[in-house]
Amino acid sequence: MICLTHDFLVLGINHNTAPVLIREKVSFPGNHDGSITRFLTQTGDLLECIILSTCNRSEIIAVTKDPDSSVENLIRLISEIHGLNQDQIGPYFYIKKGQEAVRHLFRVTSSLDSMVLGEPQIVGQVKEAFRRDASANTTGPLLNRLMHRAFFTAKRVRTETGVALSAVSIAYVAVELAKKILGELEQRRTLLVGAGEMAELTARHLASLVKKPIKIINRTFENACELASQFEGTADSMEKLDDALAMADMVISSTGSCEPIIRFQQMKTVMRRRRHKPIFMIDIAMPRDIEPEVNDLDGVYLYNIDDLQSVVDENMGERRLEAEKAGRIVDQEVNKFINWTRSLEWAPTIVSLKEKFEEIRTNEMAKMNGKLGSLNEAEKDAVEILTKAIINKIAHGPIAFMKQSIKTKKINQHVDFVQRVFGLDEFVSGNEPEEAKTSEYEIDHRN
Amino acid sequence: MHLIFFKIAAIFYLLASIVYVTFLLRSENSKCLYGFAFILAGLVAHTVSIVHLFVAQGFFPMATGFDALSLFAWLVVAIHTTIQFRDPNPVLGAMAAPIATVLMLIASTFSYQITQPIVPVLKSWWLPIHVSFALAGNAVFTIMAMAGAMYIFQERLIKRKKIGRFHRILPSLETLDKLNRQALPIGFFFLTLGIISGALWASSAWGSYWNWDPKETWSLITWFAYAAMVHQRLALGWRGKKAAMLALAGFALVMFTFIGVSLLFVGHHSFVSLALRVVPA
Repeated sequence: MICLTHDFLVLGINHNTAPVLIREKVSFPGNHDGSITRFLTQTGDLLECIILSTCNRSEIIAVTKDPDSSVENLIRLISEIHGLNQDQIGPYFYIKKGQEAVRHLFRVTSSLDSMVLGEPQIVGQVKEAFRRDASANTTGPLLNRLMHRAFFTAKRVRTETGVALSAVSIAYVAVELAKKILGELEQRRTLLVGAGEMAELTARHLASLVKKPIKIINRTFENACELASQFEGTADSMEKLDDALAMADMVISSTGSCEPIIRFQQMKTVMRRRRHKPIFMIDIAMPRDIEPEVNDLDGVYLYNIDDLQSVVDENMGERRLEAEKAGRIVDQEVNKFINWTRSLEWAPTIVSLKEKFEEIRTNEMAKMNGKLGSLNEAEKDAVEILTKAIINKIAHGPIAFMKQSIKTKKINQHVDFVQRVFGLDEFVSGNEPEEAKTSEYEIDHRN
Repeated sequence: MHLIFFKIAAIFYLLASIVYVTFLLRSENSKCLYGFAFILAGLVAHTVSIVHLFVAQGFFPMATGFDALSLFAWLVVAIHTTIQFRDPNPVLGAMAAPIATVLMLIASTFSYQITQPIVPVLKSWWLPIHVSFALAGNAVFTIMAMAGAMYIFQERLIKRKKIGRFHRILPSLETLDKLNRQALPIGFFFLTLGIISGALWASSAWGSYWNWDPKETWSLITWFAYAAMVHQRLALGWRGKKAAMLALAGFALVMFTFIGVSLLFVGHHSFVSLALRVVPA
């Protein structure tokens, strides 16, 4: 009986399975050089291993001969490394084996398993983990191939679906909108109305985007000056509001006023002064600072905090829809990868089969040598070709039979069957691909 | 021979249209470079076709409806391509490629062969100058109208707070308004030169600058419309949605002058249509 005796294993905790307290404890901070990965690989009796550790997850991706005992070993080792009680952290771990491990890794790398669906950092983090552990020599042919396919899958997901396309935070939505209205933001003038906490937060965010000094207008002039000095902007009093509006390209209003401070009629006059140059207004105050009718004016684009939030929600929904599409891409890639691992299983058997047939042929030819001695060279060649053609034709049946079984789950049975029928068992001693006489498909593990 | 290249170009434009339009209906996250590649391939084939015809005939191919439409399509694609190189946008491609395809299809219904002896007036260097300027103006106004349509659509999405995929793949309002601002004087310049060169040609051919031929009349109306637009933009500061709507209205007028007048009225410009009506033997 032959089967791939190496199995993929993923053991990990993430934001879904463990509270932040546990996640903080089970991280691998001292692993810049892969020394912890090497330690785990050696003491945990793993063939290949990668440790992935981000703010939201810690995972061990491994190739092992015996997944069950490896899981036990790993949990014990992880608790020892972090000085934790094994029973305390054990229940938080998820364990994925074989195909499920592959699928999990592909989903993680494609950012489908992230806390914020589709966030872009994870690919880089996985790449970094792989690079580090590859140079620490803890990866081998199976993980190298697996990671390569994971990155390929992530790339497909990123380009073929919109899972990472839309903005999913209020600040980001506001910036995207500003760009769609005003083009490049660097040379745009920003006006903050109100100098409260919210205004400060917004200013901090904007300071990195715009080069022109931010103008701040507040009821109490002193507060405006204070905030302005913080962000190297300029301050003005409330009486100058209309002039400031006439100059600005982006307005963010966040005063604590009970009455709207920017009214329709006022804004209409301002727009005439601006010659209807477009202006993007964001009202994050509660109650509102800007009369909603202002949005009806030509060239004014007014969004309040609820508008922005609903864009965020919609985008999140859109990402979830796209994630379904991405899931199908992941499934395709998982299947392709699993087929590859299965080919490792039948490949040695095909080689053995061909070798066995060739051995029979050469033996029989040797026996007949006396009787065929009278043949001339051309005739000898013809016999050679004839006999080779016969064994190839015979071998074709069982090979096709095994290759066909890739599509079904019966591969092991089929391969086993072929081995028994042709008496190949002695050829594939030890049942391990790397011990079979298969230089072509040889798997060379470093450890 | 040039017909083969013409057909290849038309097929590439068609492929580009299909790629671009299906791109709009899907949710891919790219600049749709395949569509652009097809357009470029089409442009190259189209250029070869026109140059070949020029060499084969020995004079600038401008005597038939086929030539005029083909050159018009070529100009639209060429201008579109320069814009795409600066700032790739699939939505612009999704408009330009189908328009080019349709123009090529209409052109192919006309015969490119000049079976009748060419009217002597057409054998003049004024022909390529006059037609090139007029068509260049039309092409610029066509692109301007596309930018206008995109502006109106994008503006509507932002005003109504419908921030979806279309909002994302459409260019920013600023970009589109800038396109309008830059295209308007260029198109107006070409239109003016087209009319002036036409008048000079008329004077050398018939001895009078202006004959109130229907095409001339409508060209003048178009010219006044665009002159008003230039004035509104520069002097009154009209921009954004108003400018975009004017670009669309102006385009309707341009198309009427270019195609409608030739079909409805008979005049000097019917020389072209005379050559067209010849049924290939």
